[in-house]
Amino acid sequence: MVLPDYYEFCCRVKIVAGHDALEQIPGLLSEKGAKKPLIITDKGVAGAGLIDVVSRVLQDRLAGILIADNVPPDSDLRIVHQLAQFYRDNGCDAIIAVGGGSVMDTAKGVNIVVSENASDLMAFSGAGALKRPLKPLIAIPTTAGTGSEVTQVAVIKDHEKHLKMAFLSYFLLPDVSILDPRMTMTMPPFITAMTGMDALSHATEAYYCLQKNPLSDAHALSAVSMIYQHLPMVVQNPSDLNGRLAMSIGACLAGIAFSNSMTGIVHNLGHASGSVCGVPHGLAMAILLPYGLEYNMHKCEDIIARLLLPMAGETDYLNTPKEQKAQKVVSLIRQMNEDLHILTNGRHARCFREVKDREGKPMVPRETLPEIAGAALLDGASMYNPEDTDYTDNLMVLEAAWEGCPLDLSKVKKG
Amino acid sequence: MEIVEVVRAGGKPFKRAYVSIFLWFTGRAIQAAAKVDEQVRREFNSLPDDFTFSLGVLPDGPWMVIGREKGQVKYLGGDPEGRHLHVRLAMKNIETAFLILSFRESTALATARNRLITEGEVPQALAMIRVMDIVEVYLLPKMIARLAVKRYPSWTPGRKFFGRIGIYSRAMLGI
Ligand SMILES: [Fe+2]
Repeated sequence: MVLPDYYEFCCRVKIVAGHDALEQIPGLLSEKGAKKPLIITDKGVAGAGLIDVVSRVLQDRLAGILIADNVPPDSDLRIVHQLAQFYRDNGCDAIIAVGGGSVMDTAKGVNIVVSENASDLMAFSGAGALKRPLKPLIAIPTTAGTGSEVTQVAVIKDHEKHLKMAFLSYFLLPDVSILDPRMTMTMPPFITAMTGMDALSHATEAYYCLQKNPLSDAHALSAVSMIYQHLPMVVQNPSDLNGRLAMSIGACLAGIAFSNSMTGIVHNLGHASGSVCGVPHGLAMAILLPYGLEYNMHKCEDIIARLLLPMAGETDYLNTPKEQKAQKVVSLIRQMNEDLHILTNGRHARCFREVKDREGKPMVPRETLPEIAGAALLDGASMYNPEDTDYTDNLMVLEAAWEGCPLDLSKVKKG
Repeated sequence: MEIVEVVRAGGKPFKRAYVSIFLWFTGRAIQAAAKVDEQVRREFNSLPDDFTFSLGVLPDGPWMVIGREKGQVKYLGGDPEGRHLHVRLAMKNIETAFLILSFRESTALATARNRLITEGEVPQALAMIRVMDIVEVYLLPKMIARLAVKRYPSWTPGRKFFGRIGIYSRAMLGI
């Protein structure tokens, strides 16, 4: 166990989890004194009938239900302001966010504007700009991945000015997060696979990054065990309600872990490949995760080795020689990607050269790797990675991850 | 009744003096490194023309300010008051500053332990952290610099030798 001299840990979100968790919403709202919530979601979630499930729970208890389903796949400043206006015009008093990362970010942004009675969200960007609690926010994730139902961050893009602003405050933590398997059951297998790998990358990175501490460790380890065991099951059998619930809880645990101990090179390069080539976040995480472990191996082999227990179970853990434990963790994650590749009929990419867009065109041409390596130097996740990363390190990892071959550990600079 | 003496921020004179001198010298060394080291020059060139950076101790100093003026990187003294700062790295208190600046904790670990607060745009802050890491490698013997940075770089002996001479002499002279 690594015991840092000093650390901070905070997660004050009430988690309501279970097969009929949604039914608790009216009670939870009245606990907060709210009568008129605004439901914020996107077209995909609404189209899948998930809002109907939520409204059915609410309709006999609340007078009118307001739904805004115009959140774009990428959070957008203009939409945040629009939704805030809608909230004010209708005299709402709480927000229910139903969706993935972009919906959660948007809802947090709207909440800042309406609670602070502000005209411009951007005045509150950065860390520590918020000084008091916001309006009640209930988060209902529809993917088991981002963990944004328990994080204090929101990222909002200003597409007109090409700016990406981050908002960081404990007041952005939702008041309640509801984990109900009905909300993730309709997710198609390949999205289940990549969002699940995002969650696994949160747990794993939280466990080896510099801000790790005993409390984040506890969350990370249970997250790894939950996700590793249930992800292939739900990809194979999407309507497995118990598996879905386990995945939601795993992703939530992972979210608590990484929002307190931060992430490293996997997210660093993942953010960059997303901004340069548009690689979906979860897919980038799935591809990069084994490389992140390999890259940091010489700095934290003992720590990585401990992940074998929640993954492989007691017998395998005990039967694996000490010096092979960490390497086994890496190969189990690679095997997981292989399995997901087969279960999704090849849609789950195992390396960057396999990532294709809707038309089947490769999304990451090899020539873009230098640009990604450079873009990663602008991203804060590098700060918390155990080993230093410069342009050439980034490029080396990206090239291996493009090809899909293990990292040549003798080439990793060790200082 | 006994009167309890209030411990003021002005206490701990040895630590304050150490931190003040350290910041003053680092400021001058960064100015020197921007002339001597190619990588430091490149980092500064990627920053805005009027870029200003401050490193120091909360709540009331000491501080050092570095800025770009007409393309030149300059040590601008110890008073950030009234300046628009692009990036500010603030150590939580004098104890923390002493811990970091006597290299018992790396910049990265200090950030991870909430002892070093970064304000400003992340890409610019990261560039300044890279600059400070490079300057530390020049100024300190390997044994100590290893504790200050995540990974001790493998520079050519020429870069280290001539860079060290250039930076030390320029920092002493303030040019
Ligand atoms: Fe992620």
